[in-house]
Amino acid sequence: MNKIIMLTAALVMVLGLTWGGVALATPQADQAIWQSYYQKRFPNVPKEDFINGVYAIDPVSRESWEAIEEFPPYEMAISQGEKMWNTPFANGKTYRDCFPNGPAIAGKYPYWDKERGMVVTLPLAINECREANGEGPLKYKKGPIADILSYLRYQSRGQLTKVEIPEDDPKALEAYEKGKQFYFARRGQLNFSCANCHVQNPGNLLRSDILSPALGHTTHFPVYRSKWGEIGTLHRRFSGCNKQVRAKPFKVQGEEYRNLEYFLTYMQNGLPLNGPGARK
Amino acid sequence: MRTHHFSAGILVAALAAGLPTGSWADDQADFEKAMTAAREARKKAATVGGEWRDIGKFLKQAEQAAAKGDFATANQLAEKARRQGELGYEQAMSQKDVGLPAYMIAGSK
Ligand code: HEC
Repeated sequence: MNKIIMLTAALVMVLGLTWGGVALATPQADQAIWQSYYQKRFPNVPKEDFINGVYAIDPVSRESWEAIEEFPPYEMAISQGEKMWNTPFANGKTYRDCFPNGPAIAGKYPYWDKERGMVVTLPLAINECREANGEGPLKYKKGPIADILSYLRYQSRGQLTKVEIPEDDPKALEAYEKGKQFYFARRGQLNFSCANCHVQNPGNLLRSDILSPALGHTTHFPVYRSKWGEIGTLHRRFSGCNKQVRAKPFKVQGEEYRNLEYFLTYMQNGLPLNGPGARK
Repeated sequence: MRTHHFSAGILVAALAAGLPTGSWADDQADFEKAMTAAREARKKAATVGGEWRDIGKFLKQAEQAAAKGDFATANQLAEKARRQGELGYEQAMSQKDVGLPAYMIAGSK
């Protein structure tokens, strides 16, 4: 502990001396830069509209997206998920026994669990609920997990993203920092970071896709993606984006992606939840 | 280029002399050495989260080629996997301390 304090003090001094006046990279400072960066880059896009991904910045594809949203391809998943929510497990209990404030609970996730020293995401909590009640865990990328998530996130629409990084636990900050490092680190044979595409190049074409800005990137999951022809989870998307730069993807709901989700969701604080979503 | 000519020269000489040019067992041993090196490089990259996507595939293909006796292809693939493992490790180490890039900070002002 003492070591950490001394190190931090030394770091503050070094930074203070070299860059005198430049604020330390706290999560709050990162978030302010993050949100302001996109608003400066797309001055005509109202902040809340960033929750609509690429459609916030591309009027042409927005037209067809709005037509799709009139008959949302994720509707089935929502009702399927509602059924799951209301169907008792074999032991007679239901999801509500795990989530007494449910189903509108998505705004609470991801959160830092101090006792366990880890980031807890909503899909992880769902599977832990199942296992605590003698049910098998669901696969994390698609299928039933996407159904129940669709229902819970639909019920949570309008809640504001509000991730907290408790200041009384340095491990929470560490998890945030790991997620941040992951986001900005180049990886894979193509040597791209997440930021190379979604911070540096939003609005530019990558093959047939217009790259979306990362402001709002977590608000609408799970997402029905036409290319998938089905609904997928946020970690499925992480995995796909790792693979396209020819990096080996990480385990879905493993520590790396949970920390990444923690960082990336914190960057969106203040933006309303609008899942499930539909994308090309 | 020069080494090429040189080894080709040796091969021709060996054939002419009717000597065995290396047994299957030798080839297999060399290949296994290459595979061990590749697996170690892959593991090292993975410990820092730097493994690239296709290394596993190359290793599998290398094994298949070796099983067919095509050690030239097998060694090439093992070598490629080893190199990617080393590059992935170096890449991850070089990115250890990254944070918000300068263009982002500048663009936010
Ligand atoms: C080579 C470019 C590239 C890189 C690098 C990349 N992505 Fe993507 N990403 C895409 C493309 C293309 C899409 C689909 C179009 C879009 O929405 O941008 C996408 C979509 C997404 C989406 C869904 C957006 C939505 O509105 O549904 C998320 C979230 C995302 N990426 C996160 C990440 C993360 C996190 C990383 C780093 C692990 C990353 N991406 C790295 C190209 C990239």
